[in-house]
Amino acid sequence: MIAPPVAERYFTSMVIQTKAKLVAIVDDDELMRSALQGMLKSVGLASQAFASAEDFLKSGQHQQTACLIADIRMPGMSGLELQAKLNAEHCRIPTIFITAHGDTKMRMQALRAGAVEFLAKPFDDEVLLESVQAALEN
Amino acid sequence: MKVLSKLQRYGLAAISCGIALAVAWPIDAPASCFLLAVMVSSLFGGLGAGLFSVAVSAIAYEHFFLWRIPSPAHEPAPLLRYTVFLAATLLTTGLMEMKRRAEESRNRAEEDLRQAHSDLARVSRMTTMGELTASLAHEVNQPIAAAVTDANTCLRWLMRDPPVVDEAREAASRTIKDATRAAEIINRIRVLFKKGVPQRDLVDVNEVIREMVVFLRSEAAQYSISVRMDLAADLPHVTGDRVQLQQVLMNLMINSIDAMRDVDGTRDLTIKSEPQENEQIMVSVSDTGVGLPPQQAEQIFDAFFTTKPQGTGMGLRISRSIVESHGGRLWAVGNPSRGTSFHLTLPIKDQADE
Repeated sequence: MIAPPVAERYFTSMVIQTKAKLVAIVDDDELMRSALQGMLKSVGLASQAFASAEDFLKSGQHQQTACLIADIRMPGMSGLELQAKLNAEHCRIPTIFITAHGDTKMRMQALRAGAVEFLAKPFDDEVLLESVQAALEN
Repeated sequence: MKVLSKLQRYGLAAISCGIALAVAWPIDAPASCFLLAVMVSSLFGGLGAGLFSVAVSAIAYEHFFLWRIPSPAHEPAPLLRYTVFLAATLLTTGLMEMKRRAEESRNRAEEDLRQAHSDLARVSRMTTMGELTASLAHEVNQPIAAAVTDANTCLRWLMRDPPVVDEAREAASRTIKDATRAAEIINRIRVLFKKGVPQRDLVDVNEVIREMVVFLRSEAAQYSISVRMDLAADLPHVTGDRVQLQQVLMNLMINSIDAMRDVDGTRDLTIKSEPQENEQIMVSVSDTGVGLPPQQAEQIFDAFFTTKPQGTGMGLRISRSIVESHGGRLWAVGNPSRGTSFHLTLPIKDQADE
């Protein structure tokens, strides 16, 4: 669902005051990574972007990540596989999934495995930011 | 047959009859001369002119020749001759008209065949494209979603007090990049849908392969298939229709992807190109998918043969006919380990049939 025009929406002054908490972005699409990093910067959040789930795990950043935004369908390890892997290592990072293929079965699977939110592209960025805020405050 | 105007046609008929009359008078051979005039008129002037010349000839014959040599009363011969003459002229006109119609219908049939060929090529493109719709929807959604996010980010920067214009400008620029990317993706589809006459250009098959790999990148990623290209450097260019060759490669690659969708183990799609002896090149598309029973190796190229629930069964049939129309061959072989390989050869020199 695409968000209604800006004039009708209420922009909270979403400058989230938290300790320097890191948000990680995992998406194989470069444009998407830039867009998400730009979005987070505009609400005062630091973020780090990875082109694949493997890169994210290899970086060791997952130990310091306070929130993860991940795509589902990626070449190599998928978003759901990443979630499973993190769960297996008892690395409970609040995860928000964004995907162009959003079927209900996948949504249930992701939420059951502990995802904070599951959004279809194009997503309403207000909803995404609220989920990020919720994830960071826990 | 040149298309003459009505005036020219009837004029021709009148002139032929006039000449016939002039020739027939001294030699007293009205039947032969007027018959000749009728033949000429209906051959070059069509049915209307033919019948016109029949009428004119009949009248001229009756007026100038029928009672020329007085014959005893009740002598049927001249009248009989006249009747036979009329029959002959009408038959001639009829025959000419039939010949003309047969030619016309043959031309129309040739035109219909040509149209059907080009329609088939277009339908095959659409069939292949139909198979790609889901993948393309996914691909185009990405830059659009990014554009929405970037535009909202831009607004967020502007709504600050005071607005942060530099960041807003960057976000707006990103939006343009996103939308441009979406347009590029759509453009790629349009090229394949264009209705065109088969071209004969020099085609770099390696480039076509690379393009198709990029095109199908997200489809392959969706099923976690790794794509490998093993392309000969300096592969000779081939004379052919670029769009048709794109179609063939796309069809083969989609078939390979489909064969590997539900398979456990490694999913490798390998595309290889190499020059061959006797001035040919060979392209091989191999997968590690469900494979092919040997008895089906030829059957899969039949029209309407498909193992897919939504398949049309035309893809391989059309691919083979495209390759053959370029003077090449397309065949399938089961891999010794797992999966299938499709091989196609293409001649370097133009040996295509027109």
